[in-house]
Amino acid sequence: MKVIVHDLQEKSWQELGMRLQEKDIVISEDRRCAGGDIRDVIGSCGQLVLISRCVFGGFSPFVQGVLEECRRYFGPFLEMRHGQTHYEVRSENRNTFGMVCCFYGDHITPMEEQSARIQSVSDGISLQARGVKIVFYDTVEKLRQLNGIV
Amino acid sequence: MILFLDGGYCTAATDTVCQGGIQEYAQGEELISVKIEDDMDWGSVCRYLEDAHAIVLAADVYLDSVPSKVLRFLERVEQAVIGGESIGGRFYAILYTELYEGEQTSVAMAVLKNFCVHANITWGRGLGIGGSKVQTNIRKRGPWRFFRRRVADFKASALQEQALFIRERIQGTDAYVNPKEVSRKEYIRRMNQEMKKINRAKIAQNM
Repeated sequence: MKVIVHDLQEKSWQELGMRLQEKDIVISEDRRCAGGDIRDVIGSCGQLVLISRCVFGGFSPFVQGVLEECRRYFGPFLEMRHGQTHYEVRSENRNTFGMVCCFYGDHITPMEEQSARIQSVSDGISLQARGVKIVFYDTVEKLRQLNGIV
Repeated sequence: MILFLDGGYCTAATDTVCQGGIQEYAQGEELISVKIEDDMDWGSVCRYLEDAHAIVLAADVYLDSVPSKVLRFLERVEQAVIGGESIGGRFYAILYTELYEGEQTSVAMAVLKNFCVHANITWGRGLGIGGSKVQTNIRKRGPWRFFRRRVADFKASALQEQALFIRERIQGTDAYVNPKEVSRKEYIRRMNQEMKKINRAKIAQNM
């Protein structure tokens, strides 16, 4: 099952023509998901796809807001991983799901691209994803290329 | 005038050291505090941004970024600048994380620096504070009681240093601090111990 979180307008999203299966879940401004549900869907997905406008070298407020709601995905406890403290992931989905972070926007500077890449990898480590794929597109239209990735 | 933007630093909610400390060390310079919310009085905010010689943003970091409401606010400021607003003050950041390592705020710091480039605001200095939960967990009989003084000091001295940069209107290298007197393992152990206590209390309440 795929979970796709995007900040696109419904029209732009429809135009992407993403091939989805019945089980796949799409979270957007028009199709919101309650905090607890987000934890459950991320805790059971095979792939987490984040499609976000690149805002100052990070996720857009909407996508970041969804990530904030993932707080329940983590246990209340801390643990040490890779020599750093992290929140303990209480889901059974640890190290089994892949993460795709897709940033779009024109004029993304090299500094912004770098910080977006670091944030993506770092979030992948926090969520205990199996792997993280990061892609950048300068226009919304080019997001169609995602069909070959996810 | 110093404009203090409260971006929601709930893990340090009892940490009166932050805003109060900045004011104290800034030696009486006027400090205006604004809480970042969706329904802010935008006219006043623009006036403050224009008049401030220093803009100080304090926020919690979660999953390597500042809260979404802060991102929304920053986008709005960028739009105001594009619309002709002029911001001459330097931008200082104080970012908190309840994870042990202050360095875990560095990605969020980079995001704020990118914002400054977009909004044509001069970056002053960033301070990333790890182990922010220490202060809120202090109890006379709590697990932090032995570290009370030393742990409080690590934040106060870092904030004092930051306040000096703000007061003197100078730029500085970003600094990341953590409660060095408490080892990482000890910090995790005590945090989890405290969390278990809270959980037990919650369960008892619900019974």
